[in-house]
Amino acid sequence: MRTEFRWRPALKGLVLACAAVLAIGPGSAGAQAPPAGAPPAPDAKAPVYSQSGPPPPPPLSPVEKLVTALPPPQPGGGPPMLPLAADAPMPSADPHDLQGTWIHNQPLQFRMQRDMYGVLVPYNMEGAKVLARRVNSLKNGAPFINASAICRPPGPQWQRDLNFPFQIFQSKDWIEFVFEEYHGRWQLILDPAKAPRPAQKNYMGYSVAHWDGGTLVVESSEFKQPLWLDVDGTPLSANGKIVQRIRKVDNGERAPFLEIVSTFIDPTYYTRPWSVVRTYGWNPDLTVFTEYNCEEQIGDPSVRADAGLVPEPQD
Amino acid sequence: MLIIKSRPRPGIGSVLVRFLLAAGVLASAEALPATPNFEGVWLIASPTNTLKPLSGSIPFTAEGQKQYQENKRLRAKGAFDDYDITLSRCNSPGTPRLMLNSERFKIWQRFGVLTFDFEWNRALRQIDASGRPPKADMMGQGLIPTMTGTSKGHWEGDTLVAETTNFSDRTLLDELVPHTLDLKVTEHLRLLDPETLEDRITIADPAYFKRPWDAAVTYKRQPAALFPEDVCLDRHEAHQPVFPPK
Repeated sequence: MRTEFRWRPALKGLVLACAAVLAIGPGSAGAQAPPAGAPPAPDAKAPVYSQSGPPPPPPLSPVEKLVTALPPPQPGGGPPMLPLAADAPMPSADPHDLQGTWIHNQPLQFRMQRDMYGVLVPYNMEGAKVLARRVNSLKNGAPFINASAICRPPGPQWQRDLNFPFQIFQSKDWIEFVFEEYHGRWQLILDPAKAPRPAQKNYMGYSVAHWDGGTLVVESSEFKQPLWLDVDGTPLSANGKIVQRIRKVDNGERAPFLEIVSTFIDPTYYTRPWSVVRTYGWNPDLTVFTEYNCEEQIGDPSVRADAGLVPEPQD
Repeated sequence: MLIIKSRPRPGIGSVLVRFLLAAGVLASAEALPATPNFEGVWLIASPTNTLKPLSGSIPFTAEGQKQYQENKRLRAKGAFDDYDITLSRCNSPGTPRLMLNSERFKIWQRFGVLTFDFEWNRALRQIDASGRPPKADMMGQGLIPTMTGTSKGHWEGDTLVAETTNFSDRTLLDELVPHTLDLKVTEHLRLLDPETLEDRITIADPAYFKRPWDAAVTYKRQPAALFPEDVCLDRHEAHQPVFPPK
């Protein structure tokens, strides 16, 4: 004999059971209604999640305390991005062709305080100390020497972050970025067999790239010296590595851009890899660069070669 | 490699062809000349530190001769920063001295702009042959004379004609010859053959030269290559030559 499940009585029983649970509720036994207009009295036995608002954040670690106590960075800015002319040429539709003239179209970040997900940069104590030392050196009126200040190539991240145009040229064997600022150059090698490893380390490192679908993945390492990733000196050790994922985005609104996600891998200064993202607007009208000739000032034999800056202590 | 061609001003050659097409003399539009492509890696055919006139000697004015002799005196004295801040500071050699450099350079030709990317110190110069109006100059940078000057070009058939003005007077034409702020350099660049590029340079500076005078430099095409990262200031700090030996 088949037994049918009698759902109506079961449902009724379920509803009654839920009402009983809600009527009992934690802390409701013996509680009296608060006076009209007053906030409900706090209940010491109530768990945190029953109060209004999110739970308080965990206490800062010693590293986070050190970093967050630093003077705030200067607000970033950049030149206004003018719209493209109606007859301006557009980039190639080929996702593997990045050629053209581009410019960082977001405000310059003087200090990368959070990653692309809004999480605090994961310094270890060593990295936090280096950052703090660099930031405080500026505050104390004795800023440290860094590549940019003495007219040396500043490394790929700082070079790209500046709000000045660059051109991209590419062949099947390599891709070259040529920058207005610092008359800089960044070489990405697609076929290492065609480009011998340099005899000595470069300021811009050694960058090998490959295509992953429509994304160019670039691994940069073997830097000549430790890097300042930004103006305030977010550090990358000379043994650090930057993995850049570059793709071209065209939403059909005559405003194509490059997106570059940079992941910093450096156990010397960070507890784990972390990433930032930048966009670079297409603008062929910026192909004619303004001359950048920092050697005229920095190379002046009548002034100090360190431009009046202070050597950074080497740990 | 992708080349995005600009629309150059028509030279006499293309104007003539269009007329002949319209007159039914030429059979097809394929006879229209395309903008020549100078892209590639180039190296000066005959290295030299001096810009030699095609005929005779440099037609100095009295003032120009005086400054030239002063430069020679300062060189003999080793007072390089007093007359040649390229040697003393790695300052950009500027135009036309960059075109005498003994190392390689690349020419990129995009959106009507030719970018010369030098192996020496990653130096750059550009010739704008796009015919487009200059970009907005919100910071007034165009008011500042530069080492390489401002170069505007147009195509005349197979020849790029570039006129450069707005020079700083802190450079030399070569290792000794001076110039003033009023210098004007006119270049006629063309391929003599697929492997040879010629730069015919006309120098005009009335304060220092009695009349314009011409020089010519040729370059040979080189294999495609990535240039090493050259930082002149590092060599200078290490007391090595600013211009590496040829």
